Amino acid sequence: MNDQTKQYYDALKAKEYRKERKPLSDPLPEMYEPPYDSDCYVRYYKTVLSEAFPILLPGDDFGFHKSCTDVSRGLRAGNYTLNYARVIGEGFGPVLDRLKARVAKESDPEKLELGNAMIACIEEIPPIVEKYRKAAEDAGHVRLAEALTRIPWEGAKTFYEACLFFQICIYFLRSGMTAHLGLGRFDQYMLPYFESDLKRGVPEEELFETLERFFISLNVDSDSYHGIQAGDNGQSIVLGGFNVSGDYQINRLSELCIEACRELKLIDPKINIRVGKNTPFEVYKKGTLLTKEGLGFPQYCNDDVVIPGLIALGYRPEDAYDYVVAACWEFIIPNVGADIPNRCSMDFPKIVSEVLDEHLTGAETFEDLFAFVDEKIRANADDFLTKGNLAEEAPLPLDAVFLDGCLESLKGVYSGGARYMNFGAHGPGIAIAADALMAVKELIYEKKVLTKELLLDALHADFEGYEDVRKLLLSCPKMGNNEDPVDELAGRLMESFATHLNGRPAISGGIWRAGTGSAQGYISRGKRCPATADGRKAGEPYPSSFSPALGMKTNGLLSTIQSFTKFDLKKVINGGPLTIEVHDTVFRNELGIEKTAMLVKEFIDLGGHQLQINAVNRETLLDAKAHPENYPNLIVRVWGWSGYFVELAPEYQDHIIKRLEFEY
Amino acid sequence: MSGTVFSIEEFSIYDGPGIRTTVFLKGCPMRCRWCHNPEGQSFSPEEVKTAGGAEMRISGQVWEAEDLVKKLLKNKPILSHGGGVTFSGGEPLSQPEFLLECLKKLKGHLHTAVQTAGNVPAEVFDEVIPWADLVLFDLKLMDPGKSLAWTGQDNAPILRNFDALTRRSLPFLVRTPLIPGVTDTEENLGAIAGLLDRHGVSGIELLPYNKMAGGKYASLGRIYDPGFDESAEPDPRTALFSAHGIEAKVL
Repeated sequence: MNDQTKQYYDALKAKEYRKERKPLSDPLPEMYEPPYDSDCYVRYYKTVLSEAFPILLPGDDFGFHKSCTDVSRGLRAGNYTLNYARVIGEGFGPVLDRLKARVAKESDPEKLELGNAMIACIEEIPPIVEKYRKAAEDAGHVRLAEALTRIPWEGAKTFYEACLFFQICIYFLRSGMTAHLGLGRFDQYMLPYFESDLKRGVPEEELFETLERFFISLNVDSDSYHGIQAGDNGQSIVLGGFNVSGDYQINRLSELCIEACRELKLIDPKINIRVGKNTPFEVYKKGTLLTKEGLGFPQYCNDDVVIPGLIALGYRPEDAYDYVVAACWEFIIPNVGADIPNRCSMDFPKIVSEVLDEHLTGAETFEDLFAFVDEKIRANADDFLTKGNLAEEAPLPLDAVFLDGCLESLKGVYSGGARYMNFGAHGPGIAIAADALMAVKELIYEKKVLTKELLLDALHADFEGYEDVRKLLLSCPKMGNNEDPVDELAGRLMESFATHLNGRPAISGGIWRAGTGSAQGYISRGKRCPATADGRKAGEPYPSSFSPALGMKTNGLLSTIQSFTKFDLKKVINGGPLTIEVHDTVFRNELGIEKTAMLVKEFIDLGGHQLQINAVNRETLLDAKAHPENYPNLIVRVWGWSGYFVELAPEYQDHIIKRLEFEY
Repeated sequence: MSGTVFSIEEFSIYDGPGIRTTVFLKGCPMRCRWCHNPEGQSFSPEEVKTAGGAEMRISGQVWEAEDLVKKLLKNKPILSHGGGVTFSGGEPLSQPEFLLECLKKLKGHLHTAVQTAGNVPAEVFDEVIPWADLVLFDLKLMDPGKSLAWTGQDNAPILRNFDALTRRSLPFLVRTPLIPGVTDTEENLGAIAGLLDRHGVSGIELLPYNKMAGGKYASLGRIYDPGFDESAEPDPRTALFSAHGIEAKVL
């Protein structure tokens, strides 16, 4: 980090710039009532921009930060990756010319309305850019002031200009109704700028500083995005990946992205790494070095599973090979796609719970019972088919500028402009549902040591006065321990989900896709779900996404990754990672890094679709100290040997916690 | 044939090459004052409690060799890629028949390592050890008096078994715990370096003492009384080894 980058970084941390923001004199209008037409969007967009003023941090050569305190209600769209690269290469000037020429030939009123709105959105850009140019000039931010004489009206020529252009794109899209803007395959589409700069003799170190400052810029407004929680802004970046000819595409820029994130330790961008059987081991090692930082990324995505999975759902192969990750884990197509991968959730624990209530007494065999589960999954899937009315979606004229084909077709993002408009459904709590069915199968139908009445009474009483029943349920095989009987039940649940949902028509005109994610539902759905037959009490959370039940002591990581790779995961390609936690002391030396990288590779080679591996940090340990029952698997390295954190004496727990103290 | 195991740890990092599962056998003839694994000392199962005094679990489960091997082989798809299984303890050679049966059953299926302090009868060592694919051998204290004082055992059988090990064609790794003022002295590490040199051993792994070592005593209702200055920084004195052309790796 050179002096300028350090200055910018320190200013970000000091947060002084946030005090410069002002409320809009007219608060954001309550304009977002139906109908959501283009006019409505443009009015909103103009309101946000009407009082925008430049904010520049020390060392900042990017700018374009939010200046109003109002949190834009970017509710209407997003969670996709637009074709920034095309616009960055072309410049808004030529784009506007093409657009105007296209609109001039149009007579359809609906298309005209969209086309004119697209023009209006672009025309709002130059005055703001000029304000920034002037401010940069006055404050001595020479590089920025100079670049803004061309950018974004002309196409970018250098790596710096391309990054700056990107920042400008994000700024204006966010001023509209868009949240969750993914950066997509940044290391691929930015590579030409990076390489051409190198060829011109720009030192790599200088490009790295530019990259770092761009990444810092992505964090400047992280407190004021619309989202479920602060920082949930969808700024995912996807590195690496195989092309159609099977070549693995990782380059120097990909490495520098990882390097920059390691050094900056900020929440954005969130790194995803596309890997597969033929990915060089070095890539896993570099990824693990990033995991070590305890930032919660990278997330790994398996091309060998995801690409065929997407093709099987009807995506064009060239698009499937180009896949990226949406805000969390959903596999989507950049540039041409506007999939909505989080439309519904198949709440597996609740389904099993309802089936037990309604049918356990009458079901003579376990297979009879499972048939009711399958039936309920189908009924839920049927119900999804009527959901997600796109009439509620804004036409998003500015987004349409960035989505391939919209400028030519003059169709809105969600009105036929996108090549893909498929809907995705999450699948929270698969492990809980499988564990519950396993307990019923084993205790009631096979060993016959528990009666149906007693189980239902215990569940209805939330195990109050039925601790022995709960103990029995808890002793049954659980998903995550590499035990075939329960893993197969999980597989049957996913098979049923896939069979009843994949490829069925969505209201959007696209199709439905099943997944293994949970989104925030693992807390909220858990709260609403009564006691389950795996021994989980009413209201307790589900595990995050595709993971073993919370607090379940597993045999260990090797068993867990096998449990979660048995099913053919190509069928649940809406995504949702297995999440595992490793204490960050494991990453202390080269050996721990190497072995963790090996473990990730094993997971991928076994056919896992997605993995989130976390280095557990101090906060988790504090929580583990207060609630040891939730952390039976948390391993800490002791000395040539590792131990379970919860079994250590308090002073030793405190010692480790203290050891991990560091400031974000 | 059955044996007592106090922990099976999947994905253990420091117990040999590749991805490994380590099986900790319960019971050890030594009583090293710095022992970080007190669960491994007694041969009988015992209660482990949380800091609050609630019983967490019983440490020490009796396994049939056949069942244990079956369980270990379930992870073969992962363990067979350059990793394997390590038997540690406690002193795994203190349950020789059980260990031998496990090693025999795993032969040809998974790579095995045995982590031993070598303090067992010569005939036990000579019979069991050839069945392992790798030996991780602990050398703690070279002076017999100090060995007795700090580990409760004379080191003659250890040195004998070490000598026997070096005469085999079996791969092995030497490890020494660096206990401040006890094993990390110039005298002790110098003697170890000399011994390795005489046997033509080219490397050693040094494991610095970690202040966490006493962490598990309370959960077993015991008091940790190491008898040395825990706060002192252990000194690896790698120069003593490089003087003999031995590569010393500090883990």
